Amino acid sequence: MFTEPLDVLLIFTVATPVVGWVAYRKAYRKILGIYVALGLSVTAYFLYELYREVAEKGVVLIVGQLPFNPPLGACLEIDMLSVFMAFLYTISGLFAAVYSIKYMEHDTGLTEYYTLLLGMIAGMTGVAFAGDFFTLFVFWELMCLTSYALVAFRKQRWESIEAGFKYLIMSAAGSATILLAMSFLYGMTGTVNFAALATSLNNATPDGWLYVTLTLIIVGFGIKAAIVPFHTWLPDAHSAAPSPISALLSGVMVQTGAYALIRILILVFGSMQSMWQMTLAIFAVFTMFGGNIMALSQNDLKRLLAFSTIAQMGYIIFGLSMASLSGLTGSLFHIMNHAIMKGLLFLCAGSFIHQAKTRDLRKLRGIRKTMPLTSAFFAIGVIAIIAIPPLNGFWSELMIVMAGIEAEMIPFSALMLANMIFSVVYYIRVLRMILLEKPTAVSKKATEAPAAMLIPTLILAALCIIIGVYPEPFITMASRAAEALLNLQTYIGSML
Amino acid sequence: MIPLVYYLAGAIALYIIGMYCLASKRNMIRLVIGIEILMNAAHLTFIVFSAYRTVGYIDPLGHAIVIMSIVFAGCVTAVALTIVTYAYRHYGTLDVRKLRRLKG
Amino acid sequence: MRIDWVRVAGITVVVSVVLIFSMLVLRSEFPVFDHVEPVEIETTEFLWTYRLIDMIAQAFVLFAAAACCVAVLRVKEKKK
Repeated sequence: MFTEPLDVLLIFTVATPVVGWVAYRKAYRKILGIYVALGLSVTAYFLYELYREVAEKGVVLIVGQLPFNPPLGACLEIDMLSVFMAFLYTISGLFAAVYSIKYMEHDTGLTEYYTLLLGMIAGMTGVAFAGDFFTLFVFWELMCLTSYALVAFRKQRWESIEAGFKYLIMSAAGSATILLAMSFLYGMTGTVNFAALATSLNNATPDGWLYVTLTLIIVGFGIKAAIVPFHTWLPDAHSAAPSPISALLSGVMVQTGAYALIRILILVFGSMQSMWQMTLAIFAVFTMFGGNIMALSQNDLKRLLAFSTIAQMGYIIFGLSMASLSGLTGSLFHIMNHAIMKGLLFLCAGSFIHQAKTRDLRKLRGIRKTMPLTSAFFAIGVIAIIAIPPLNGFWSELMIVMAGIEAEMIPFSALMLANMIFSVVYYIRVLRMILLEKPTAVSKKATEAPAAMLIPTLILAALCIIIGVYPEPFITMASRAAEALLNLQTYIGSML
Repeated sequence: MIPLVYYLAGAIALYIIGMYCLASKRNMIRLVIGIEILMNAAHLTFIVFSAYRTVGYIDPLGHAIVIMSIVFAGCVTAVALTIVTYAYRHYGTLDVRKLRRLKG
Repeated sequence: MRIDWVRVAGITVVVSVVLIFSMLVLRSEFPVFDHVEPVEIETTEFLWTYRLIDMIAQAFVLFAAAACCVAVLRVKEKKK
């Protein structure tokens, strides 16, 4: 119905409670995690098939019910960018699921946990595949709903409930804003299909209502993408969620907001490009500064990483705001690198929390002595994220800065460079605390993380190094995705 | 027939009321109702636009979207109310100010 | 966990009743709008024909919402 990868994800989501019912004993709990990992692997395989199909045909793929064609019917439209994003979701989900097997072993409600985890990945994949604004919204709601419950999952703690509620209120307000913007687009064109919207609004002269719609879209998706005035849910939600979920939220879900934003802006608001480019670039600078400055004074490891996510979103949105091939390539490459780096950092932070039972950096000082491997992986992640040459973060951040210079947005590029130096300051502080300082009582008691938690972090750290040393194939993938995003003729032509 | 812009003004008023509710109210249940108001503003515009496309007929797309969207509003409310229920049962308050244990 | 025979019996009864009734329904034929006055209604089939994908995805959203409620309201298991 929805192409094989999404079908597999949805079917596995619905079947998870059955497996949970079978694996009722504590000893059988691992089955659930293995089952979810299996489902995600099958999805990855089908995604590869889909990738081959899209690459072979060279155009986008339409999935809808014939003969009731768009522009009225619901449909999915898959191009290289969708496949690229879906790969990221699946791979990040796979790491999170494998990591959860050990990390969540003492929690109750694992069946619901894994159901929601799969549901969230299915929702994100659906957002990437949607070719119709309302279809996108349906999957958007699937993603949002599952993430609300996952943030509030460890509800024994006051913090989770509060963060979950705050996140729910802000994100639901964002969804409602998106719906209002959609209704205005519908009122102008009589359709909500992306391709049809693009053809009808391409040559429209900007008037008041179009500006209102543009504002509503930027606000609505900006809440999910953590653009700075709307970012306040993110640090709470990221630090309250279980660590694998933080890795997913920060690594891919926030980027889904950026994906939907740029897809709609490029397709629908092409006639107002100079306007939204400037707006997005200014927001991006605020986002970078906001995230980095707030991160400077954090003593809570996960909050620090969450603020760093906001700063990285600033870089990504700055790259997207150029709407040029090089800028988009840099941004998409950075989305991929960020999913890997932040996934690694959050999973390592999860290992520290699991073993030392604290998130306070001051108590985690010198934990290298007792958890050498996790600390080493954490250090690799940090070095990657502060853009030190042999690792992957360097390439993508460099590409975004260079693209900014190319697109004659030199002041913004300079501000981004300044921000990269900012981020070095607080990350070096974290590294010094973890690696160099004397162990505290808490960190002396900690032991090395179990193998089931080390293996995902090991693979992610290896990926950081591999992408850093051989960036070419990954840059090619990102640039093909960016080409697909910019190639409006193919996208519209294959639909209508 | 009443001109379209009056309905639009009503919808935007609803949107602003909803945002005001989210910004100023402290009771968790009221916040959830604020979300409902926001969603209904969008639903109202959909219905109005679908009625005004051709005089005497309605455009089915707008109605189809609203039918499905109402369900999502219900889902979000359900999840929000479960969280509220849990918070009330365990912490004995519906006041978000009392929940403010997190900083900034 | 001890197997709760009452529950097992309940589930069995429910499943068999569902099966029996679905068999009965499949055998019979429902008079679909046989007694309706001839009025032209074309728009009502819109949701089913044009928006089928959304409807199916919506079912999954409902399922996810139910799972969310269960996850938040779950009770703590007793230690064994």
